Amino acid sequence: MAGIYIHIPFCKQKCSYCDFCSFPNKSGYEEAYMACLYKEMELRKDELKDKVFDTVYFGGGTPSVIDPKYIYGAMKQVKTLFSLSKNPEITIEMNPGTVTEEKIALYKRAGINRFSVGLQTAIDSQLADLNRIYTARDFAHVATLLKGENFNADVMLGLKGQTMEDIKKTIDFAVLGGASHISMYALTVEDGTPIYTDYLNGELPDEDTVANWYEEGRSYLEEKGFHRYEISNFAKTGRESRHNRNYWERGEYVGFGLSASSFMHERRLTNTFDQDEYMKCVLSGFLPVVDCEEVDEPTARFESIMLGLRTAKGLDLSAFEKKYGSFFDRYASAYERTKDYMTVEGNYLKIKDEYLYVQNSIVIEYMEEEKKGD
Amino acid sequence: MAKPNKFIRNFCIIAHIDHGKSTLADRLMELTGQVSKRDMEEQLLDSMDIERERGITIKLTPVRMYYQAKDGNEYLFNLIDTPGHVDFTYEVSRSLAACEGAILVVDSTQGVEAQTLANLYLALDNNLEIVPVINKIDLPSADPESCKREIEDVIGLDASEAPCVSAKEGINIRDVLEAVVAIVPPPSGDTDAPLKALIFDSYYDNYKGVILFVRVKDGSVKVGDKIKTFLSDTVYDVVEVGAFSPKLQPKAELAAGEVGYIAASIKSILDVAVGDTVTNANNPAKEPLPGYKKVQPVVFCGIYPLDGSKFNDLKEALLKLQLNDASLIFEPDTSTALGFGFRCGFLGLLHMEIIQERIEREFNLDIITTAPSVSYKVHKTDGTVLSVDNPSHLPPLSDIDFMEEPIVKAEIFTPPDYLGPIMDLCQDKRGVFKNMTYLDEHRVKLDYLLPLNEIVYDFFDSLKSRTKGYASFDYEIAGYEAAKLVKLDIMLNGEICDALSVIVHETRAYERGRTLCENLKEAIPRQLFEIPVQAAIGGKIIARETVKAVRKDVLAKCYGGDITRKRKLLEKQKEGKKRMRQIGTVQVPSEVFMEILKTNKD
Repeated sequence: MAGIYIHIPFCKQKCSYCDFCSFPNKSGYEEAYMACLYKEMELRKDELKDKVFDTVYFGGGTPSVIDPKYIYGAMKQVKTLFSLSKNPEITIEMNPGTVTEEKIALYKRAGINRFSVGLQTAIDSQLADLNRIYTARDFAHVATLLKGENFNADVMLGLKGQTMEDIKKTIDFAVLGGASHISMYALTVEDGTPIYTDYLNGELPDEDTVANWYEEGRSYLEEKGFHRYEISNFAKTGRESRHNRNYWERGEYVGFGLSASSFMHERRLTNTFDQDEYMKCVLSGFLPVVDCEEVDEPTARFESIMLGLRTAKGLDLSAFEKKYGSFFDRYASAYERTKDYMTVEGNYLKIKDEYLYVQNSIVIEYMEEEKKGD
Repeated sequence: MAKPNKFIRNFCIIAHIDHGKSTLADRLMELTGQVSKRDMEEQLLDSMDIERERGITIKLTPVRMYYQAKDGNEYLFNLIDTPGHVDFTYEVSRSLAACEGAILVVDSTQGVEAQTLANLYLALDNNLEIVPVINKIDLPSADPESCKREIEDVIGLDASEAPCVSAKEGINIRDVLEAVVAIVPPPSGDTDAPLKALIFDSYYDNYKGVILFVRVKDGSVKVGDKIKTFLSDTVYDVVEVGAFSPKLQPKAELAAGEVGYIAASIKSILDVAVGDTVTNANNPAKEPLPGYKKVQPVVFCGIYPLDGSKFNDLKEALLKLQLNDASLIFEPDTSTALGFGFRCGFLGLLHMEIIQERIEREFNLDIITTAPSVSYKVHKTDGTVLSVDNPSHLPPLSDIDFMEEPIVKAEIFTPPDYLGPIMDLCQDKRGVFKNMTYLDEHRVKLDYLLPLNEIVYDFFDSLKSRTKGYASFDYEIAGYEAAKLVKLDIMLNGEICDALSVIVHETRAYERGRTLCENLKEAIPRQLFEIPVQAAIGGKIIARETVKAVRKDVLAKCYGGDITRKRKLLEKQKEGKKRMRQIGTVQVPSEVFMEILKTNKD
């Protein structure tokens, strides 16, 4: 089954590490943008009429910053135009400081049943450094509103001045708040973001420290009943994100909105990052696609390895074999070079727990072999 | 006997790096209408990209200019640009032999600098007349008067009339040309005598064959003449002669006193040696002109193609480079770590670097180079003596009776302020102090005996940094001396990497081993496993560092929109790995083989 991604590029202000496609303080555009988004869905109605979608995901930006009626409208559009599975997972990302009881009520009426809250850290000074708009108290407030709901909290590693204690405190905060899923990931420093300066000046914790924190954070989360099912994702049993799992299984997805990408029939499409261009295209009845990549078979094979090995369960070898032939025949020498870091469990090939954080070095071996074989 | 044209002036320019030599040359050409300002590329004479980028001159480049002097006569100027660096002294002496005078450019904000002196003395040795020129007078910190005094004090030249110019701004350039007319003598020689022309350079042209750069000393040469050289009996028909403007410009004839080129369908560079004398085959001169001191390579290193299948391309590149750089020598070599390649000999470290860079750029080849070495004499227990310039060719320790290393007689010129640091440095490099002479109150000459293998590492850089560039340094091989030398091996993850082995003096082995391990630790990227980096002598470990295992290299998040980006990131990483060599289980970046050079941190 496939997933739907809907991009809401609005934010109150830009976080200091953010290089996503988002626009702070552009509230005037909301109405026009959402109208285009609805239109874009219509443009792809026929193409997608045979697909059954199992998940919907509102990401951003900060989807919770806009009037909830637009989210409601978008869901209505989805239900009108596409077929959803019987029990779909419908997620919305939200940031503390933008959420009210009324908004949540309307989201639920729209069918949303999973929430993802950008906590990042429970230390207010670090939140301020990140240019986030809320405090730890605001998160606590959101958590109260989400009591009993299926919700994720983001936890970030590698912040300026951060300690392991801070991380544990943040995890405690999320767990006590009732989160059923925790996404714990390292800060990625992108050139051009304000935080890049901190990085250049050596003010961020080094990679070894972050790796240590990650390991410690992982066992702390396990203690709290959250198992790791992907490099950065931890959940209580049964609360894993179905939407994201679809990506790692190279399932199909369709993305609507600015910068969103779609993957169907081994073809990956990316929408424009330019708001005016997006609106112009859609209003003239064209898809706002600026990049179209036909994924050839060697690349597809590599992607399934790269993605499959991100998960704790590992790469589904029998599914792989069905599509591309025997894994071990094809990758004999790459496997020989990397087998110390992997295990085979039943039909799955997985990276050993202690090496999951050096996934790049391992999968890159498979890429080489791939290209040589061509 | 007929005198050569008295309106010819053959001269070169001597200057410290960055004192404005090439800029001045450009202005001279501009002023004599050789090139229009519009066509002018900056620093016309430095035609190699490498020369322009590094701001240095490597190859000598001749150019011909006409100048209408104030005395009413038109003069023909042949300017031969020269390299400034000590490694290219060979090239310099070649161009000096083709001149009667030299312009000495001094930066009026800096005064006389060290490097200038060595070349200046070379010029004086060749009996050239010196034309001092004070440059950069447009700068606020210029002090032409004290600069003139310094020239008089340090060099003993009368600089009172020296032109004060700004080559950059084009100020007073005409004064320089007038000074050349006045000071540089016209060429001597006999235009009626049999042809004698000194070959001072050559290069290979795809259509014309070998092009000889010559200075005609006696007689003349024209198209149709039959010529030969003194070292070979082959006779060639001259198909073209001409001058440099600075591009080749055909002429009817080259006569005594002139500088130009000869093309004679010479197919192989091996038939003509730089320094040889060209003469007329039907009317040969009795004796050749004095040639050049034959240069021996003193620094050796291995050069390997990064991609093993490019061995023949590398060979081709080296052959082509050798055509206009006779001082480069090479022979095939193999290494367990690096595969098939060449062992190459150079005049010095800079020469080595330039050749490496030219291979990469002009021939678009990625190469790996090993640490530079010198040639040792190995006396074996069976009484035989071997010459070894490649550490991995050293016989087993048990077969070696003793070894000798090349020693150089070094002369260091310095202002007295830096005596202390220089003596410390020489001490550090196992130098033996011989003599110290005060040339005047500003300059001291130090004589040392130094092992060459200490010099090829970082002596020159250390000397420069310890004396703010003021000390100049020249050396000649003084012979061989027995020394306690050992082969220092580097082991990566327990395996010896032959391309990283070096021969060092016993007393330096421990320190060198430690520094090497430290440098390698920094240069080798972290991998999935811990890599011990060890230095060993004859199986005994003397130093160890560890490249820690990589702990985190993962992209934190990978959702729908990230997949292509993430894959491309990995593809880029894989590209990077192509520049790596697999040594045993360890991936080693090709730059690592040069890391071995960085032995000192001062």
